[in-house]
Amino acid sequence: MLQRILVWDVPTRVFHWSLALSFAGAYVTAESERYRDIHLALGYVLLGLLVFRLVWGLVGTAYARFSAFTFTPSQVKAYLLGLLSKQPPHYVGHNPAGGVAIFALLALGLLISVSGLGLEWEIGAEDFMEELHEIAANLMLLVVLAHIAGVLISSVLHRENLVRAMFTGYKQSATAAGITRAYVGLGVVLLVAIVGFLGWYLV
Amino acid sequence: MQRHQLYGWLILVGSVCGSTPIWADTPQQLLDGYKAEAQAESPDFNSFDPQRGEQFFNKTHANDWSCATCHTSNPAAMGKHDKTAKSIEPLAPSANAERFTNPKKVEKWFKRNCNDVLERTCTSLEKGDVLTYLLSIQ
Repeated sequence: MLQRILVWDVPTRVFHWSLALSFAGAYVTAESERYRDIHLALGYVLLGLLVFRLVWGLVGTAYARFSAFTFTPSQVKAYLLGLLSKQPPHYVGHNPAGGVAIFALLALGLLISVSGLGLEWEIGAEDFMEELHEIAANLMLLVVLAHIAGVLISSVLHRENLVRAMFTGYKQSATAAGITRAYVGLGVVLLVAIVGFLGWYLV
Repeated sequence: MQRHQLYGWLILVGSVCGSTPIWADTPQQLLDGYKAEAQAESPDFNSFDPQRGEQFFNKTHANDWSCATCHTSNPAAMGKHDKTAKSIEPLAPSANAERFTNPKKVEKWFKRNCNDVLERTCTSLEKGDVLTYLLSIQ
């Protein structure tokens, strides 16, 4: 029998949507000096979020840990091929393709943040940093689109709403165990820190 | 490693790390390029005009920003970003020898800043006038 289990803790959910919004906001404010302050503020938030996620990937709840979504290339291949079969393989946490997307997003996000800081603080060769910043940001947009496509495909194939799960934290499973703590307090602290920083920086 | 590969890497590392880009140009070379473009764009083109460049630099075009909003009306002095208050190195080559020596950088900033100030790209005539004005400042 299917049971409702908690999969995503609150800090992971706050991280996910804050990262999505800060990346999208930084992307659309990139081309004009008029929005330079917003672009910078969102860049700092993005870097802060990534640093938090690197720590949370080591000490966080079960499904949020890196070890929970580190898969071998053959597992990723098997998962993708399995999507074509009648019974596509199902994972409660991140599936192998999702795991690859997350590592790619984290790595690209760090490259973008570090090159952005280099540009702002005038460290390193400007032309090189600029190319790196733009290419990594466009690659990240591609991975984001692939991630969204993957979420939609997986939601349809497995008849589960993965987007809703990233809001509520809950999924349905017959066998898997949920996490026992949601870390609401830490999630609130993260959210308050983001909003507080943006307010302080921009107002 | 093949010798030509090694040279390739050395050029790459040199261009990334070096403070002077290997594609360095002079403001006059850039100006000659704008002149050729302006002639191609308009058969009536005569020459660039520093006064016209100065007026263009100081007036607003499509919104509340002019070039001088951030670069100040004295391009030989430090500027200040209108949104972030970050200081901006002087634009006039007489005050800042690095200016207008890297065509890629010049095109990037003309594209961004013309878009912000004029809400369109600048013509070669406008770029040439402004550069002529900036070069006239001693």
